[in-house]
Amino acid sequence: MARYGMAFDYKLCINCRACEVACKEENGILLGADKHRLWIDVKEPEGDFWDLDRVKATFTQMQCQECEDAPCLKACKNEAIYQDSNGIIRLHDEKCDLSVDCVKACPYDARYVDTRRKVTDKCIFCADTRLARGETTTACQITCPAKLRYFGDLDDPQSEISQVLKARKHFTLKPEANTKPKLFYLD
Amino acid sequence: MKKIETSRRKFLQGTVSLCVYATSALAAPIVTTKTSATSKFTTTPYLCNMCRNKCAGFARVENGEVTKLDPNPWFPKSRNMLCPKGNAGIQALYDKDRLKYPLIRIGKRGDGKYKRATWDEAYGYIQDALVKILDAQKDNRSTIAYCNGEGFNKDEYIQFFGSKLGSANFLDEGSICLNTKLGALQLTLGDIGEPDVAGSDYLIISGANRYESLITPDSIDMLHTKQNVVVLDPRCTVTALKADTYLPINPGTDLAFCLSMLYVAIKEELYDKTYVKNHVKDFGKLKTHILSSNYTPQWAEQKTRIPAAKIEAVARAFFKAQRPLYYLGRRSVWAENDFQLRRAMVLVNALAGSINRKGGIVFGKPIKLPKEEVVEPYYANAEDRFDLEGIVYGSRKGGSWLNFREKVIEGSAPYPVKAMFIRKHNLMQNMPNIAKTRKMLEMMDLVVMLDTMPTDTAMMADVILPECTYLEREDMVVSFNRLEPSLALRNKVVDPLYESRSMQEILKGLGRKLSVPLFEVSLRYDEELQESVKELGRHKAFEEGGYDLAELYRNDIAARNRNLITKAFGKAVYRSLREKGVWYPYLAEHTTVGNHLYRYYPEEKKHYSVKRDYSVKCYLKKLEKHGFDPMPAWQKGYDFIVPKGTFRMITGRYVTSTQSATTNNSMLRDMQHTNHLWINNKVAQKLQIKEGDEVEVASSISKVVIKAHPTNRIAPDVIWFSHGYGGSSEAMHQAFGNGACDNAIIEDRFEKIYGCAAMHHTNVTIRRV
Repeated sequence: MARYGMAFDYKLCINCRACEVACKEENGILLGADKHRLWIDVKEPEGDFWDLDRVKATFTQMQCQECEDAPCLKACKNEAIYQDSNGIIRLHDEKCDLSVDCVKACPYDARYVDTRRKVTDKCIFCADTRLARGETTTACQITCPAKLRYFGDLDDPQSEISQVLKARKHFTLKPEANTKPKLFYLD
Repeated sequence: MKKIETSRRKFLQGTVSLCVYATSALAAPIVTTKTSATSKFTTTPYLCNMCRNKCAGFARVENGEVTKLDPNPWFPKSRNMLCPKGNAGIQALYDKDRLKYPLIRIGKRGDGKYKRATWDEAYGYIQDALVKILDAQKDNRSTIAYCNGEGFNKDEYIQFFGSKLGSANFLDEGSICLNTKLGALQLTLGDIGEPDVAGSDYLIISGANRYESLITPDSIDMLHTKQNVVVLDPRCTVTALKADTYLPINPGTDLAFCLSMLYVAIKEELYDKTYVKNHVKDFGKLKTHILSSNYTPQWAEQKTRIPAAKIEAVARAFFKAQRPLYYLGRRSVWAENDFQLRRAMVLVNALAGSINRKGGIVFGKPIKLPKEEVVEPYYANAEDRFDLEGIVYGSRKGGSWLNFREKVIEGSAPYPVKAMFIRKHNLMQNMPNIAKTRKMLEMMDLVVMLDTMPTDTAMMADVILPECTYLEREDMVVSFNRLEPSLALRNKVVDPLYESRSMQEILKGLGRKLSVPLFEVSLRYDEELQESVKELGRHKAFEEGGYDLAELYRNDIAARNRNLITKAFGKAVYRSLREKGVWYPYLAEHTTVGNHLYRYYPEEKKHYSVKRDYSVKCYLKKLEKHGFDPMPAWQKGYDFIVPKGTFRMITGRYVTSTQSATTNNSMLRDMQHTNHLWINNKVAQKLQIKEGDEVEVASSISKVVIKAHPTNRIAPDVIWFSHGYGGSSEAMHQAFGNGACDNAIIEDRFEKIYGCAAMHHTNVTIRRV
């Protein structure tokens, strides 16, 4: 039993997209920009070329925020969505009727329709691939050139993620939505 | 509190928007396989080949299928990471368009009509053609040119066609890539060295795009080192976005910036006086030259468009830093002054004392690998190479592609070149003015292609020999790096698919087929060989003369590696290379420094400084003798001039592509569908060019059509688009007709010191179509 979370040293990102490819290859995700479990939100610099405001340019790692209070779970009328023993929001595939209420309910836009499996899909921290076979890293985390992703058990005070969250300031996305995300962005 | 937009409609914004209107007409194929939750799998250490870097990974194989590639934590060079291309290597292996069996041309060159052949038929075709050609050329082996664009196995390929078969005409990517840089280092320092990015505290980067053209360990070290980074570029790349200081610069004027840095260092006496006294030869001449030429920051501002105050500030900060490094880059030659530019960069480092020390250009201590000896036959009628004529230095090894091509098509070469063996080198895309390349290939009596994919160049071949991908073969052990040297071995992950073979297997078969017939050709024209046969008898003359072209391949690659490694380094090293894919002396002390990053060499064991007698040469007499500047200097012709209504075209690539080698990769195409023309947003507005509009880009030699991407990240008089797109081979279904090919319009000019193609000289016009 664990309570898995992820922290991003997000300013290190160079948008190289290794995470996206690694995720697709590991988890058998379909090709297509609208079919992915994770993506990088790109903000361009502002201003004129000769006087660019580069601070405005950001690359932000986006994926399911693994909310403690997950709107998608509540929105599903079929009780297809559940929280597993490691705190990861999962799906009973056979109960999903593709009514996409969960897709609409997610404030982070983290869900999409997997047209091959005919379910709504999202990041589950490689729970049914890497974690299931005893590995301790996610595909996106281990391949990242910047090593900006910290993944681990938030309940274990000795875990690297707990340590980094203790040592550094961080924030969550859309706190006003009161979803209690388990993904953190390090300042 | 930060607010970050989180819309999945992200693909409508920013650079990702490009895929919306891209040539995505092809339905995305289902290419990914989910890895299983079971422990029934094997992992094999391998070396990546998706670009020139060679990073290390472990391949996961389930039921004979490669399902995942993961980074190898043991390799000092790649620092436990795999880039997007490395991750997409699976798609290179399982690409449906791969070359599957030998092919012999039945149509006209370039029309893509081939018949399937057996390996023996293909070898037979080559044998017949070569015997005819060599008979006509009276055994001048240099009538057979051969080239190679892949880093691995290059020396072995040269050994086969050069040492064994006897041709002097080898060409590689160096003259359309970085030979000026290698030459500048070698001639100035006596060694090519290696930049210690991790050790530097102040880093200047001219144009090299380390965050979109990843080089290990440099790019990774930049991410994990808190140094001050200054980037000069006419385009605000991701590297520039992330830099502490970004200085937009006129294309081709970085030399003026360097000269001005030298000026500030000398004028203000900021240089490392002890180092200069001990190591820098002819410093007095350099000092006089730089000061008397008056390369002031004000002067450099006129050339570069960088404000003088900024040049001055950067120069002072650089020379006052503890361990500054002017990064020499690793990419195509830009301008005709490129050799002088790289020389000036070396001299800037030398004046800061940043040579053979932490954070500078280090000599280090590479691990030496023993050579496998073969007997090299002597061919009395083989002539020398001709492509270095008119070039001051040039590379004796890889020559000058543009000079070679020019002499062949003009008929000014001292003898005709009639055959060409091409290995993983996409000539029809990789050098400026493709029309001329086509003409050169059309003049050949025999063109043989060794490749994994039916590239534009493969479509010009008479015989196509399918090579397997890097995941299907073992290669000879390789020595990497100098500061933290290591050995790495590419182990075979799966058996070759279809009828593809490794290069070694291909050369072995070819060698066995050709050895005797070609020996007989020599015997007809080579009097010394005739004498030798009289004296020793035919069999002995053949054997002792080294005419068995497949001599190196008497043992298979696994046995060759075992013999070589155990003999030179012992069984433990061999075991490490088989099990971990890597060996270096401190591997057992491999320790984590947090979040899956490692310390490889203990700090005190890194080869920052080595004992060596060397001097930094400011003055090169040979250059003066040939009418060139013996010390870096500015010439009027170097000025950046773009006539009104035109733009300077520059090129580069995306983080998800390696030249033209990855444009058919389904996964990478999914990440970056096509290439786009970067044009300044304000200029685009005036020209009424909007995102996604088709525009025609025309130079003096040709024109292409490409979709526009107006952006504030490029200078108003400059346009950019990525190299590698716009393929013409219909057999590459993902790459065919996708985007525009830069080399169709880049004018073929080359600098005369190394014979390297200058890629950033072309002015173009733009028009909406």
